[in-house]
Amino acid sequence: MSEDAPRTSKLSFALGIVNGLIGDHLARTDNELAFDMAVMSKGAAVVLDTESLRALHPDAMSRVCVLLHGLMNTEEAFFSGDCEDYGARMQREFGITPYYVRYNSGLPIPKNGAAFARLVTDLVAAHPVPVTEVLLVGYSMGGLIARSACHVAALEDLAWLSLVRRAVYVGTPHRGAPMERVGRVVTKILAAIPDPYTHLIADIANLRSDGIKDLGDADVTDVDRARRLPRFSLRDEKHPVPLLPQVEHFLVCASVSEDPQLAMWFGDVMVPVHSGSFDAITEKAHLALPQDNVKYLPGLSHIMLPCHDRVWETIRDFLGRPLAETETP
Amino acid sequence: MSSLKLVRGMRKLLTDAVEHGSRAVETIQLETAKRPFTVLEAISPIAVPAKTVHVFYDAAVNVTHASIRGVNGVVGIALDAAIALAEKTTDEE
Repeated sequence: MSEDAPRTSKLSFALGIVNGLIGDHLARTDNELAFDMAVMSKGAAVVLDTESLRALHPDAMSRVCVLLHGLMNTEEAFFSGDCEDYGARMQREFGITPYYVRYNSGLPIPKNGAAFARLVTDLVAAHPVPVTEVLLVGYSMGGLIARSACHVAALEDLAWLSLVRRAVYVGTPHRGAPMERVGRVVTKILAAIPDPYTHLIADIANLRSDGIKDLGDADVTDVDRARRLPRFSLRDEKHPVPLLPQVEHFLVCASVSEDPQLAMWFGDVMVPVHSGSFDAITEKAHLALPQDNVKYLPGLSHIMLPCHDRVWETIRDFLGRPLAETETP
Repeated sequence: MSSLKLVRGMRKLLTDAVEHGSRAVETIQLETAKRPFTVLEAISPIAVPAKTVHVFYDAAVNVTHASIRGVNGVVGIALDAAIALAEKTTDEE
């Protein structure tokens, strides 16, 4: 690691927050602070050609893993804990070549999903050896972007989708984030009150990025977003967008409290257990997801999830299993 | 991300903040003053002078904030020129 790594890390940490908060504004105004979606290595974007990828991974394997960070993060979130990062462990224990992706988390999730679908197309084409499997790992919002990209790939018949056999979601709000939904309703109420001060508060609250707003209902497609915009309710009854049947999905959710009732309500502080588990824990009949594919980890908060030994142990357990039979599209 | 690119991005962000902040404060000042003026303008003996003061008040607020935004724009252009010059110098070196 270079000598200026701590400075770079603090800077990218700050820029990650700015991108998450107002990244859509930065992109609209062509601000240089807006991140472009890119594969990253040691804080720098990697050009997606075979030579660059060979230089990055001289021992590249045919199985690749793409890791996506969450809202207001950068790929450095995966290196934030005391433990070794998941990518390095996958490489060592399973022979999977990891790629970390950075993106502007303030952009709408469907927009990032479409960009990610293009990036994976380029990555698979440029990978030094023929790719036999693409493993998607999404932390928080990253999981929704992975899902969004898979929907784009299914619609556009992109070849890489057939290589995706497994996807891992860590602390992903599949059923949305209640805090954002409450914030949305409060903002609309404030805007409806004929008072300049409440309007000002509503205007300031509405500065939050499209990415944050999309988290409310976990809007992974443009159709979801369009349906949400004129609504004034806490819940979109047409959600959730189903998980793609041809992929084996593995969900990791957590809660700060070990008390079951508190865990259900507050989850890992950002994502309630029912949302992180896609209701597989709370409403078993709702989703045809094997119970083994949902792991609930009490005693962990949201920010601990991208780099934690307990999370890795569950991912390792999942990756060590033989592939389950999934539906063909 | 290069330092100059970062500075240019920060410059844009700051001028955007001043622009939007000025518009928000202007709206608040106009809307807040509108209420007492509406009451005063409803009282017939003082309606005309109240309306006159209201017009002058609104004009003063508009001009003040337009000046803030104008200076903000000029400072932004000047900083852009300085950043471009610094970039040129760095490239030549």
